Amino acid sequence: MINKNLFVLFILVLLVGCGQSESNVSSGNRIGIFHMGNGTEPQELDPHIVTGVPEHNILSALLEGLVRKNPENLEPIPGVAKQWRISEDGTVYTFQLRDDAHWSNGNPVTAEDFRWSYWRAMQSALGNKYAYMFYPIKNAEAYLKGEIDDFRQVGIKVLDERVLEITLTNPTPYFLQLLDHQSYFPVHRATIEKFGQPDERGTRWTRPGNFVGNGAFQLTEWRLNKLIDVEKNPYYWDASNVTLNGIRFYPTENVSTEERMFRAGQLHRTGSIPIDKIAVYKKENPESLRIAPYLGTYYYRFNTEKPPFDDQRVRKALNLAIDRRQIVENVTKGGQLPAKSFTPPDTLGYTAKEMLGFDPEQARQLLAEAGYPNGKGFPVTSLLYNTSEGHRKIAVAIQQMWKQYLNIDITLNNQDWKVYLDSVNSRNYEISRAGWIGDYVDPNTFLDMWITDGGNNQTGWSNPRYDEIISKLAPAAVDRATRYQLFQEAETILLTELPVIPIYIYTSISLAHPSIRGLSNNILNYVSYKSLRLDPEAKP
Amino acid sequence: MTEQQLKQFTAGTSLWQDAWLRLRKNHLALFGLLVLVTMVIIAILTPWIAPYGYEEQNLILGASPPSAEHWLGTDIFGRDMLTRIFYGGRVSLMVGFIATGVALLIGVLWGTIAGYLGGRVDMVMMRLVDILYALPFMIFIILLMVVFGRNILLLFLAIGAVEWLTMARIVRGQVQNLRKQEFVEAAYSLGLSRWTIIRRHLIPNTLGPVIVYTTLTIPSVMLLEAFLSFLGLGIQPPQSSWGLLINYGVETMEEYPWLLIFPGLALSITLFALNFLGDGLRDALDPKASKD
Repeated sequence: MINKNLFVLFILVLLVGCGQSESNVSSGNRIGIFHMGNGTEPQELDPHIVTGVPEHNILSALLEGLVRKNPENLEPIPGVAKQWRISEDGTVYTFQLRDDAHWSNGNPVTAEDFRWSYWRAMQSALGNKYAYMFYPIKNAEAYLKGEIDDFRQVGIKVLDERVLEITLTNPTPYFLQLLDHQSYFPVHRATIEKFGQPDERGTRWTRPGNFVGNGAFQLTEWRLNKLIDVEKNPYYWDASNVTLNGIRFYPTENVSTEERMFRAGQLHRTGSIPIDKIAVYKKENPESLRIAPYLGTYYYRFNTEKPPFDDQRVRKALNLAIDRRQIVENVTKGGQLPAKSFTPPDTLGYTAKEMLGFDPEQARQLLAEAGYPNGKGFPVTSLLYNTSEGHRKIAVAIQQMWKQYLNIDITLNNQDWKVYLDSVNSRNYEISRAGWIGDYVDPNTFLDMWITDGGNNQTGWSNPRYDEIISKLAPAAVDRATRYQLFQEAETILLTELPVIPIYIYTSISLAHPSIRGLSNNILNYVSYKSLRLDPEAKP
Repeated sequence: MTEQQLKQFTAGTSLWQDAWLRLRKNHLALFGLLVLVTMVIIAILTPWIAPYGYEEQNLILGASPPSAEHWLGTDIFGRDMLTRIFYGGRVSLMVGFIATGVALLIGVLWGTIAGYLGGRVDMVMMRLVDILYALPFMIFIILLMVVFGRNILLLFLAIGAVEWLTMARIVRGQVQNLRKQEFVEAAYSLGLSRWTIIRRHLIPNTLGPVIVYTTLTIPSVMLLEAFLSFLGLGIQPPQSSWGLLINYGVETMEEYPWLLIFPGLALSITLFALNFLGDGLRDALDPKASKD
């Protein structure tokens, strides 16, 4: 009798197991979980260490700066600060923080939290690649360079528990936009100090269970190379307006896998799409395909300290031997623009002089002048890229162009994202692939990274005039016209010396399920998770 | 009877002659051998007979289906598929044969010695195999690559150096079984040295399972190479191998099926041929088979 019952139970279990399983998208729509493909596995979740887009996507759900962005037009809107006052000369910002802003453990978010976080982000031992984002603040540059030791001289002052005053060296038109960047995100002091020194890298404070944030969501699970789960933070000041109950981020390094996951209803949104699938989606499923201009440049950088790339003529020759039109039309095929300058055209009204072209004849000549006639004697050079189908395709095409036009041999070398970052940061490469997505809408975000020893200038390139323009002259410029003229001069220096060769201007291409509401196209591909909704009625 | 005649009369057919006689009667195996020999000849002659250069791109053409100019179509860079399959075959066949050869050499020697000597020697040798088994294979190969740099020959050796473990175990089991049999004792009492016994009597008797296992190892080694290359540890573009071509073909199989089908066919034909030949060889080399 017992045996028979057990048998029935066993069959029942089997039947349940075999039942039609619900796809992530339809279950997500029902219970409010957003499933998102997120490129590579994040390097870290410390806002003052990471630099990549995948990390930024997760952090902007977990943390909130003083100011947020309107996803429609990217204008600054109140975040933790409910209002702010700017002095007449544009250099003193006074922020009034919300009384109801809380950390995910219930602690209030205070002005001191921000002051301490900014102090931490500027500690040299932390190795923040984005430390130069603080340069507009008075004395921050001197502090970062070790010229002054006393942080009290830096223009960050706590006036009251909920009032923060920031003094700038020069009126900086894009300063409010900076405040929504991860390097200006606040971090929870008690948590960080519990797991290590404030300026210690890689402590356990970013693990699920430890992480305390102030964003609309809190970290609940992190399974390496599998997923990262965040769920709604009940202490968030605007929690009543957050519709999603959670977001699940999937590291999807292989874009083909990501596309298959999307097709199988496992993802609401992908980070990208395989090149060869664009045409298919255009024809069969156009409502899922989103192509939008994207404020970013895809480029190759040289290690300018390693011969032969210390020779400007070599860099120029390699630059002139790339047929960018071929690459965007026949390799990337996603509406990208061939790069004619480093800053994307019409970045807040600024278009740099077109200086990059394709001229194999001149390229050969330059290479010969540098001592490598017809590529003879040119060392076998390795081209480094982070593992991805798209990067490989571009690398293979360029490898062949250099072989064909210059007769030089390039070996391709792909590394996993974390290893790749490590190689690049320790300048253990010869040529490497890179991409730069604007952190805010202003040409400055493309130009200030190339100052001498800037955290994201991993080329070893340095030019005193360039530094002077970017750090001194442009910030002090009286109006936009003068400022842009200085940028033109700086960009001309950059494109003459070519520590980097821009290849194309990005477009953001992704797949988005029609059940998503509140997703807007903007040139930063910025997603405000709190304004997203999922329509449970939508067709799966 | 002259001495000459006497010699002819007493000299039997050797194991190998015998095997060849039997193999000749197995048409399927002969066919497999023929296919393999053709493949090897094509691989050797590739630089002279390939219609295009394996790295020659034609970005404007892009991926095109089979046509009169490109018999097997072109890949997304407009490179001729036939040429790439020819060149890929060179790498794949080399990996398959060299790595398997290395595995065969080490594995068979190690297994016979351990199995025949037994006792403490066997114990030490097999525990070493156990330890190597426990070592994660990927980490081992990555370490080798880090220390010695990326080198195609090293890749072959590294794969071979890992694949011999199973071979050693199989052979040892066989030999342990055989060494207690009468013919080994007979050989011993006739005063043959240990090495001669191993060489003349034990190894030929283990050939059956060894050949079967070898025919299984070659394809797995070819796929392993593709996997390692995909991770950036093996060969690098613009070079290619069948495994890599298949790997890339899978990604675009819905749009450009010929990028998957043709390299897939090349690999399957080779594997079939290997299996037929392996089957035939096993039957032909079995010393226990009756002489008809």
